[in-house]
Amino acid sequence: MRINTLKLLSKQVWSSKTKNASTKWLIGVFNAMLFFALTAGYQNLRLQQETVEHYRHEVRERWESRPDKHPHRMAHYGYVAFRQRFPLSFFDFGMDSYLGNAVFLEAHRQNTVNFSEASLSNGLLRFGEISAGMILQLLLPLLLFFWGFDLVAREREHGTLRIILTQGVSWQELLLGKSLGLFYLALSIVVPSLILGFILLVINPLSLQESQVFLRFLGLIIGYFIYFFVLSVMAVWVSAKAKSSKSALTQLIGCWLFFTLMLPKLSQVVGQTLFPAPSKIEFDTTVEHELIQQGDSHNPNDPHFKAMKDSLLAVYGVDSTHKLPFNYSGYVMREGEKLSAETYQKHQAALVEIYQKQQDVVRFTAIFNPYMAIKNLSMALAGTDYAAYDDFQRQTENFRYSLAQTLNELQIKLISNKVKSSADKKAVISQKYWSQLPDFRYHFLTCTAVLKHEIFSVISLVLWVVGLSFLIRYFFNQLNDF
Amino acid sequence: MNTLLLKNFFRSKGLMIGLLFLLGAGLVSLHIGKLFLDKNQEIIEKTAHYQQESIARNVKFHPKEIGLLLYYVRFGLVNEMSPLAGLSMGQRDVHPSLQSVTIRNLEEQKYETDLMNPMYQLLGNLDFSFVLICFFPLIIIAFCFNLISEEKEGGTWSLVLSQSSRPLSMIKAKILIRYASVLSVLVLLLVVASVYLHLPLDAALLAFALTSILYVSFWFALAWLVVSFQKNSSQNALILLLSWVLLTLVAPATINALTLHLYPVPEAFSVVLESRDGYHNKWDEPKEPTVAKFHQHYPQFSQYQHPEGKDYSWLWYYAMQQMGDDEAAPDALALKEKLQKRNRLSSIVGLFFPTVHVQLSLNALSLSDMDNYLHFLEKLEDFHEQKRLYFYPKIFTEVPVVSEKWAAFGLEYYREKVEVQWLKMLLPLLIITGLCLGWASLKFNKNGNEENFKLS
Repeated sequence: MRINTLKLLSKQVWSSKTKNASTKWLIGVFNAMLFFALTAGYQNLRLQQETVEHYRHEVRERWESRPDKHPHRMAHYGYVAFRQRFPLSFFDFGMDSYLGNAVFLEAHRQNTVNFSEASLSNGLLRFGEISAGMILQLLLPLLLFFWGFDLVAREREHGTLRIILTQGVSWQELLLGKSLGLFYLALSIVVPSLILGFILLVINPLSLQESQVFLRFLGLIIGYFIYFFVLSVMAVWVSAKAKSSKSALTQLIGCWLFFTLMLPKLSQVVGQTLFPAPSKIEFDTTVEHELIQQGDSHNPNDPHFKAMKDSLLAVYGVDSTHKLPFNYSGYVMREGEKLSAETYQKHQAALVEIYQKQQDVVRFTAIFNPYMAIKNLSMALAGTDYAAYDDFQRQTENFRYSLAQTLNELQIKLISNKVKSSADKKAVISQKYWSQLPDFRYHFLTCTAVLKHEIFSVISLVLWVVGLSFLIRYFFNQLNDF
Repeated sequence: MNTLLLKNFFRSKGLMIGLLFLLGAGLVSLHIGKLFLDKNQEIIEKTAHYQQESIARNVKFHPKEIGLLLYYVRFGLVNEMSPLAGLSMGQRDVHPSLQSVTIRNLEEQKYETDLMNPMYQLLGNLDFSFVLICFFPLIIIAFCFNLISEEKEGGTWSLVLSQSSRPLSMIKAKILIRYASVLSVLVLLLVVASVYLHLPLDAALLAFALTSILYVSFWFALAWLVVSFQKNSSQNALILLLSWVLLTLVAPATINALTLHLYPVPEAFSVVLESRDGYHNKWDEPKEPTVAKFHQHYPQFSQYQHPEGKDYSWLWYYAMQQMGDDEAAPDALALKEKLQKRNRLSSIVGLFFPTVHVQLSLNALSLSDMDNYLHFLEKLEDFHEQKRLYFYPKIFTEVPVVSEKWAAFGLEYYREKVEVQWLKMLLPLLIITGLCLGWASLKFNKNGNEENFKLS
């Protein structure tokens, strides 16, 4: 393969397309849409980040300014955690709008994460959102197919194909050269948006706290470059194989519809049917039933807690829990919290596993659907996928658990064993303890974790490149000339 | 000639595949709708059973104090689904259709969400409204984009011109056959739906069907308009596909982004904080002001007092809970108003975009839109208030737990009445369809003389 021939061919695609006023217009419109999507997305992200920062401080201030209290009251006063958005999330909104944003964390109870954008908007969200990711993944391929469908087919129809091939250009060179030309056209839209994306990333003060965003952004760049290269080769390949340019166009648009609209929805229906997930009420009921079976800390005759009491009394050689050298009810609560959190976490993990299985059905289609591969990869790198959310939920639950247990420990150690109720003056501890408890700080997933979750998408993109190279190497020469 | 066109149509493999595709996708969507309705029914039945069981268990565990018992007992209110929601799920998979609440602080319970795989919400449901709004236009575009250009490019146009004195009427017949065929698939699907999903034959169903038919008509009118420009096939296809992308992807997303941008809702966060502090902080404050505020809210309960010198009373406890709601009320109201504003803006802007308008209309008819959810929340507030008013005096006078017939507390149901706003629903579609047809006929008249037809 000769580099100069490739250069010549790709240049020819570029100049013949850009001669057309409509091409320039389309490039302009797409760049404008991307500019709009990126800046609007960025503004929203900043607004959301500022709101979250504001309320996060508010929560902390209110927490620390609580007066002297019984620790368990404080555990019920609880904490409110807000989901912070990843600095790259403005590039690809992913699932962000469907994920809850605020969760109330208190003792004994795992509350749902509420107030997703979807729950606060009407049905329009369901048409999809305009983000740079959506434009690049969904709309730009359609444009590429429009540009690419006639690249070879028209040469054939006009009889110029024969001339090119008889002049010593090989099929491989022809197809790769044309694909590169198409790829450059795609870059005229992709590159400005990536530059703007990078600028918006840099000017966000919160990005600097997360140096991994730049690495992730690099991942996005590579991912999208591969995606558009794959699509360019596909378009040219279909154009070369098809009987006429019209048939090439129909095939390409058909593929686009099937892969972007039909297949994702169909695969999600299959996933949901294969791996049915419980509803909230079923989930809660199962957890509750299991907790009742394990032991009820409020019931004095409960076997689990009675056994615990008896062994404590035996160890300390006393006949009543009031004579124990520590706060007994705090001890019971610590045990209860441990049991209930373990049970909840076990069921939550099972639920997440069902969700993962459901999502895997969708994810596996990436093997023959590059759209799904880039969609999942881009979402993961932008920090707007389910793995990121699951991680957030886990961190809030861990925080909730350790908050409740720390307060239980304080009660065990500091509260007299003889007070009758939490309103008793002797039953409070100083407010200085509140500020010693840590604030909720959300830590984003690391790059490695993200790639591990989306290894399948990465592999399928790589497979696409390998497969197409294979195609170019061994099959492109077997095409019919005329 | 028309019988020939008809024959030609039925022999065309591509057109038949298109119709079969619509039928197939439509039937799949109906099945998905059926599964959705069944699942919802199952949840309601399970909850009804579970509520009875849970109340009985709590009565057994807390037989002494009714105030303590009511800390635990949950009462469920169902937002009844219209069977039409099987056709247009709207927001029904985002908002729970059943809420179970205790008589405590409502603001902490009201916004609870159901468990849902967010990937599915992102990818969206393959419900009938999706098939109608996205797939039908594509098939219509495929059917119509080359009505004239196909004859020109195939070289049969001169034949048509030489054999017919009015070529336009042949083209009209061609598009009408396609219109009739697509409409029959649509009507067939609706008939199947009404049997399969047991849809009652009422005004809502009629409005649903009419909106769907008008929507399909709009796309035919648009295709007719584009055809009237008499460009070549690929230009027609490009224009129509761009309109489709614009109407089904870009416009709705832009309107959505606009509403979110114009009406941000930080109130959602402050509501959480205010209701939490409104209640929990009262533990650290003197009891009298809390109880006084409670009496101010409910003068009818002024006779019940917190026993002086006591550490605790149920009156005080529920007064604290009440303060959670009362102190969050301004934010909750602001939140509700913002959501209403978001709703109003998108439905007004949506009037100009048939896709948006049809989706919002179908959701409204199916009781799966934002309005329905907001109404349900209001109903839930009522429901919660009724339960409070019923139980407060019993708690304050400490009636024995056994005096209440607990088994009688089953699920309660809220069924919103569908009010069909015929004009608002149908007129925008009629107008825009009319405009397309009018413009097209101007175009055809201009080019109408055979000279131009030949030249082009």
